[in-house]
Order: sequence, then structure tokens, then C-alpha cells
Amino acid sequence: MKKQCAPLMLTDEDILEAMQAMQSYVDITPGTFKEIYSLSYDLALKRIRSLGKAEEIMTCPVRCLTRQMSITEAASIMAHFGISGAPVIDDYGAICGVVSEKDFLNKMDLPGTAGIMSVVRECLTANKCLVTGLRVLTVEDLMNRTPITANKDTSMAELSRVFTEHKINRIPICNSEGLPLGIVTRSDLVNSICQLG
Amino acid sequence: MNILEKMTGTTQSPRRVGGAEVIWSWIGAFLGIALVGAFQSMIVDSIGQSLLIGSFGATAVLVYGAIRSPLAQPRNVLGGHVLSALVGVLSYQIAGDIIWLAAAIAVATAIALMHVTKTLHPPGGATTLIAVIGGDSIHHLGYYYALIPVGLGALLLLAVALLVNNLQPRRRYPEFWF
Repeated sequence: MKKQCAPLMLTDEDILEAMQAMQSYVDITPGTFKEIYSLSYDLALKRIRSLGKAEEIMTCPVRCLTRQMSITEAASIMAHFGISGAPVIDDYGAICGVVSEKDFLNKMDLPGTAGIMSVVRECLTANKCLVTGLRVLTVEDLMNRTPITANKDTSMAELSRVFTEHKINRIPICNSEGLPLGIVTRSDLVNSICQLG
Repeated sequence: MNILEKMTGTTQSPRRVGGAEVIWSWIGAFLGIALVGAFQSMIVDSIGQSLLIGSFGATAVLVYGAIRSPLAQPRNVLGGHVLSALVGVLSYQIAGDIIWLAAAIAVATAIALMHVTKTLHPPGGATTLIAVIGGDSIHHLGYYYALIPVGLGALLLLAVALLVNNLQPRRRYPEFWF
């Protein structure tokens, strides 16, 4: 299901009250005003969406994991830098996968919708550690092997579409050789739109 | 905002309308004024009245050239003209000895009355002024001035507007009736 941002719709009553608040005769009907509002809203949206490219909002440099890295080491890096996911690079430095918290959770035999609270619950009720079984794994066992990436010229609109469509939280930005340049997270996107306002 | 800032304006002039709007405005105005003029020569002349008054030129601007404006809607066209005509005749009867005073009272009062009755229609200002300065041919009509030429003429212009403004798919008229 695709989430959509519907424009804030004005009612005739809103417009009539606003016109009255202007305290003078305004040569426009509420109906015409609503039409102009709706058309200009679409135009503004189009303008805002065409602003900003991945390059301008990405976080760089990006913390990368390697394929051979143990899960323990990967978890330490992610914990240390306070990140919930990272691209994985191969021997040539090109991006070959992405690891996120979700991938860890998936390996813990929890249902698909599980989150951090599921882990907490399991630990508290079953009194067992869910992650001990993961010790033997490497990043390669965990990672998503078909990473979704973008390039530095990808527009914010496109990034936003990719986030929603693939239900992911981060998109590595790479050059034409697949080498990582940075990463755009959902927060990067949200913050950049706040700057536009 | 100080007074000088206010005087410099705050926004820009809207863009030019499209070619179709220009052409349809022309067609509407031509037909509307032609109908009122023809009506005058065919019917009203026989009873010795003029139907084509100056303020109809102004009404034509609105009802054929700015058809989405609230000022151009049927309520405003009919109400504005008829009420302004009555105000004009009354003003002349009260203060007709001092023409400038009667004219000022007429126009100012017509605007106020149109505001209060939600019938603001700029050509009403001309209609009310004509009732005062229109000369004997207008003065001797008395309050009938509000019916013929004013009411009838406005009605004819409105009828043409209803037809012509709805012929083109992208144009529609009116926005509201009352």
C-alpha cells in the first residue's frame, strides 16, 4: 500500500471566515479561491519535490561493514556509532549488501513483525538470550544481498518513493562503480524538508 | 507597515489571460451590447425611452470579461443596478438643486447599500450617477428608471452572459445566483 500525502483541504467555511477576517471586500468567490489553492498547492509540491538531491542531504562518510566481519563485530560497530543499519562492502570496496536491525531480528526466530520489544519480551518471559545463536554468523549470512541504492543525483522525491515502496529506512548512495559515497536515512529526508520550510 | 510601504504595493499584477478568454469576452460583449441596442431601436424607441446607458459598458466588462468575479454574478448585476438606480433617483429628488451634492450622495450611498445587501457591482456607481446627471430625459422617468432602462438592460446582458459564457467548455457562469 502506498502512503500518500493529501493536501490540507480547506472548507468553504474556512475560506468564508478568513475572507471576513480580512475586513474588506475581496474580489474572489470561495469556490475560485479553493480551486486556485488546490492548483497552487500541486505546483508548490512539484517545486519542492524537484528541489534537493541525494548528494545534498546524505550523511557522509558512511560507516560500512565488510562481508567477512563477525556479527559480534558488526553489532559493536553499529552500537558504537549509534546506527541501526549499514551498507556492506566487498573486497573491492563496492556495496554488496545492507544490514539493518531487521536482519538481526529475522535471525532470532521471531515473527516477521517483531521489533526490539519482542526481544525484550522474550528475554523477560523465556529468560533466554535470543542472540547467542548468532555468534557463529558473519555479516554475509545476515545481509540483504540485493541492496537498494541510489546515486548522488537522485531527487528527494525519488528517494522518498523508494523508502515507501520498499519499506526500508536507509539508502546507500554510490558512484557508478558501486563505491559508497554516503547514506540517506528517513531522518535525513525529514530533516531536509524541515529546512525547506 | 508604514504609509509609504503601503503605497508601494505588496504584490504583482496577475498574468494576462489566454487568447480564448479574450475572444470569448469580445463575442459576449458584442452580442450583449448589440442585443440591448437592438432592443432599444426595435421596441423601446417606440415608447420614447433609451435603453443603452453608459453603465452597461462597465457591466459588459464584468459579465463577459471577468465572469468568475463575485462582482459579475447575477445577484450583483441585477441587485447592484436596480438598487443603485433607486438611490440615484432618490438622491436627485432630495438634493437635485445642487447637482454635485446629489451626485456625491448618490454614488456614496449606492456603494454602501450594495455592500450591505451583498450586491456590490461597480457599474451600479455609474447607474446611480446617471440618474443624477443624465439630464431631463432620465429625470422625467422617475423611479421607472430602475425598471427601464436599468432593470431590463441588466436582464438582457445577463441572459446573453448565461448563454455565451457557458458555450466554451472551460468557461462557466454563474458562480452563484443569490
